[in-house]
Amino acid sequence: MAKSTSHGQKSAPIRCPLDRSKLAELARAFHDDDPVWYEEAAAATAGFDGVPAPPTVGVLADHWREGGVHELIAIAGLDPERVLHGEISWEYMQPLRMGDELTATTALGEITTREGKRGGTMRLATVETDFVNQRGELALRRRDVLIEKGKA
Amino acid sequence: MTRTRSTTQHSDAALPVRPVRLREGDELPRAVAGPLTRTDFVRYAGAGGDLNAVHHDETVAQRAGLPSVFGMGMLHAGMLGNRLARWVGPDNIRSFSVRFTSQVWPGDELTFSGHVTRLERQDDGHAHAEITLSIVNQSGQEVLRGQATALVSGQDANCD
Repeated sequence: MAKSTSHGQKSAPIRCPLDRSKLAELARAFHDDDPVWYEEAAAATAGFDGVPAPPTVGVLADHWREGGVHELIAIAGLDPERVLHGEISWEYMQPLRMGDELTATTALGEITTREGKRGGTMRLATVETDFVNQRGELALRRRDVLIEKGKA
Repeated sequence: MTRTRSTTQHSDAALPVRPVRLREGDELPRAVAGPLTRTDFVRYAGAGGDLNAVHHDETVAQRAGLPSVFGMGMLHAGMLGNRLARWVGPDNIRSFSVRFTSQVWPGDELTFSGHVTRLERQDDGHAHAEITLSIVNQSGQEVLRGQATALVSGQDANCD
């Protein structure tokens, strides 16, 4: 694997509020329409000190980014026509609650190249997004690996 | 098929707040979703903001050489995330990672599975569970492989 030098580039911070409408939309999209994911009373009955957010809530950074996931691809300098979402991972540092005001900052990590099985050079870009809450705590870190297929 | 809305059921199990008691080999409660529809993809496109046309526009998908639109990986990853949260509690998940191994198509029925591969005891009576996760389609083909770590209650402790 070869390494490129173009890492460290950052996006402008994105405000990412964990509001009730988005949390209800996500719960329904995930076929898990339990009000504990978007109603204070249901969450309190379940014993939570607020309404918990689902583990993949960090996707909302893409909702608030003007160009959606395309902007991640642009940050990485990849050709959107050839990009696949290979992997994603999340690290959780603080509980995530409805009403949190997260600020997401995305930075381009390493870009590596690899010879594709069907010819052409594949590029793999790691893009890391940190979510800081309204108390200034790093609450969530999301890492995406984008794969740009080689030109056939 | 005349489906006006996607299935939005949930299990009756309450979402855990505190670390739950788990042992090596314990399994994620069996969960299935589907058959998935284009409506499911559109609903997630709106919720999550992935407006890549190959996920909702048949014309664009076919022009790209695909048989039809296909589901965003983050949709079934999110479904799995919620099922993981329902098992171990959303606040107890420390890390969650997924790798997309195959595409999800309209009509697919997904089965979610997972088990505890290792427990690492902590001094305070809690433990970290390492969990392996997987989603397969109706043909048995794996579409996602995942890993998670979660804070769980120690095996013999009376904590919480």
